[in-house]
Amino acid sequence: MRWSVRPAQYLALVLYLLFLGFPLLWLISASVKSSAELNSLSVNLIPSEWHWDNYGEALSRQGLLHSAFNSLLVALASTVLAILISVPAAYVLARLKGKLRIAGVTWILVSQVFPVVLVILPLFLVLRTLGLADSLVGLTLVHTTYILPFALWMLQGYVAAIPVDLEEAGAMDGATRFTVLRTIVFPLLAPGVVATAMFSFVSSWNEFFFALVLLQSPENYTLPITLTMFIGGEGKVALGPLAAGAVLAAIPSIAFFSLLRKKLTGGLMAGAVKG
Amino acid sequence: MKTRRAAIAASLALTSLLAAACGSGADSGSGDGGPVTLTFQSLSDQPAAIAATNKIVGAWNQAHPDTQVKVVQAGWDSAYDKLITQFNAGTAPDIVHYEAAGIGPFAADGYLADLSPYLSEQKRADIPKGVLDSVTVDSKVVAYPTELQSYVVFANKKLLEQSGAQVPTGETMTWDQLRQLAKTATKDGKYGLGWGLSSPTATFVAMAPAFGGKYFEGTGDQAQISVGQGEMALPQLVHDMNATDHSILPVTLTQSGGKALAPFYAGQVAMTVQGSYQAANIEKDAPKDLDWVALPPIAGPAGPAQAANPQTLSVNKDSKHVEQAAKFLDFFTSTENLAALNEADTLIPASNSAREALDKKLGAKKGWSTILASGKYLTSAPYLFAGKYAQWKDTVATPAYQRFLANQIDANTLAQQLKDGWKSVGK
Repeated sequence: MRWSVRPAQYLALVLYLLFLGFPLLWLISASVKSSAELNSLSVNLIPSEWHWDNYGEALSRQGLLHSAFNSLLVALASTVLAILISVPAAYVLARLKGKLRIAGVTWILVSQVFPVVLVILPLFLVLRTLGLADSLVGLTLVHTTYILPFALWMLQGYVAAIPVDLEEAGAMDGATRFTVLRTIVFPLLAPGVVATAMFSFVSSWNEFFFALVLLQSPENYTLPITLTMFIGGEGKVALGPLAAGAVLAAIPSIAFFSLLRKKLTGGLMAGAVKG
Repeated sequence: MKTRRAAIAASLALTSLLAAACGSGADSGSGDGGPVTLTFQSLSDQPAAIAATNKIVGAWNQAHPDTQVKVVQAGWDSAYDKLITQFNAGTAPDIVHYEAAGIGPFAADGYLADLSPYLSEQKRADIPKGVLDSVTVDSKVVAYPTELQSYVVFANKKLLEQSGAQVPTGETMTWDQLRQLAKTATKDGKYGLGWGLSSPTATFVAMAPAFGGKYFEGTGDQAQISVGQGEMALPQLVHDMNATDHSILPVTLTQSGGKALAPFYAGQVAMTVQGSYQAANIEKDAPKDLDWVALPPIAGPAGPAQAANPQTLSVNKDSKHVEQAAKFLDFFTSTENLAALNEADTLIPASNSAREALDKKLGAKKGWSTILASGKYLTSAPYLFAGKYAQWKDTVATPAYQRFLANQIDANTLAQQLKDGWKSVGK
């Protein structure tokens, strides 16, 4: 019976990938279909006629590239800030003992339960007072705050998985606290940082509501805001250009993931503790 | 190495942002003795409509160097969320583009300027009374209406004729005629009508005036609901066409309006009820051999009336330049400008003169004459001023109508749910 297990595993994997990838395939298909085909009853994945004009319209119509650049700036900056703040905080949180740790973790969870609409208006007023209401810097600060709890939550889990024994062994060998962190903890934490950075980047890249409310000037619009411009009044939707825009919007996320994918693998604790 | 590069890229992004921060800052729009700058938040989404808007604004700016208008493009999607934050935070633009159904709460909260003093008698007379009523709150005109849509029946002429049905050509047609047409055209696996009613409330409420239906009495939080014969007539008719005549393609009742066009293009249905603006999409997307026509406006016992929900241009009450903004709106809604804008958006102008001008220009074009004629029958509807309408529509009415059309509840239960739901929303 064993011989049939491996092919079955591969088949299951292929089916799973198809299941996950189908929406993206369908989106790509829709992005190269004509308006007539998109509004017909046909459900073919391969377009009857390749219609590349959608991409031209998406790029020329709403300043998509400029918005993509804004999104990239905000997402990268938010990610860096969130990681810089959450790595030391997560380390402290993970290594804390007793009630203080419980309080810290509870605070992270509680901060996640407030609906966005509850905080948007005070947030807007605060940012306006600071002169940051309609700026990418203001949005970056908001995104960082928005990402931070989950980043902290993720990272403290990774830190907790690093045995304290390793740090103690380093200290026994005469390493200072900083050396222990730099040479033992941070290298082991790297895959966790990468995973958290990915999550942070995608969260900021896709965030819509804060950007919608905070950004007033078209030159500051991020990609999700610009994509909504393809949805008009009276229920009008420019489906082809919208799909093309969405495909283009997905590319940086995919590139970012591809860039950091290898960092995620490679054995988090390989060789750390000898059996 | 890659990690280092990524870190450098991220650091550069941070630096760019900080540099950009130094250059950021909103234009105040008020000079000290210099030209006044008005911000105009436009929701125009079609490329042609954006171009038409920019052309009108450009012409204004050229003719009025002391009052410059700056267009700020925004999207329809989530426009309400954006506006409510802007108004509450005091950062709303001088000129606000929205729709009659959405500006009521802003007017009630005192965010919109009273434009009555700036509306000339000539302009007032040029706007149909029902349309003007739709932008009048507490006797104050709070917006200039610009563009309208009506519900129109588009028909596949060949399919209708093949079924033996006579294609109506009069000034109006009755709902009974439509029902009979749909019955006649339902044969050989084809259906008489396709009607996208996944969100039926807006359609039923907008078309209720033809049956004498009002739905609401009073305004704001004081509005009271009434669900009687006039309000129940259209839902009952659709229900009967579906459940008794079997003349509506059932799947379309679960689809959005636009989605119901696909079976129309495929020849599965002989007719479809759509927003009038779909004429442009039908012209663009329908198979070339589909000979389509727009049927005359549909009349109920109270005539062919439909509720007007025009797109609107309002002035922020807190604007320092209300008078200049009102002058700009007067210019924007001139006959020539409204005609150009509505041609670009394939909608119906909100003034008689612009509608006539457009009819003169495009009347010969397929569908346009009938669609523009339907604009004559648009009237005000009390739902525009009912405070909790949006909440009632989404949480009570739409699910109740869907259950009714799916034959899960009867008409009495539907009426009761609509009334009870109104009392419970917002409590």
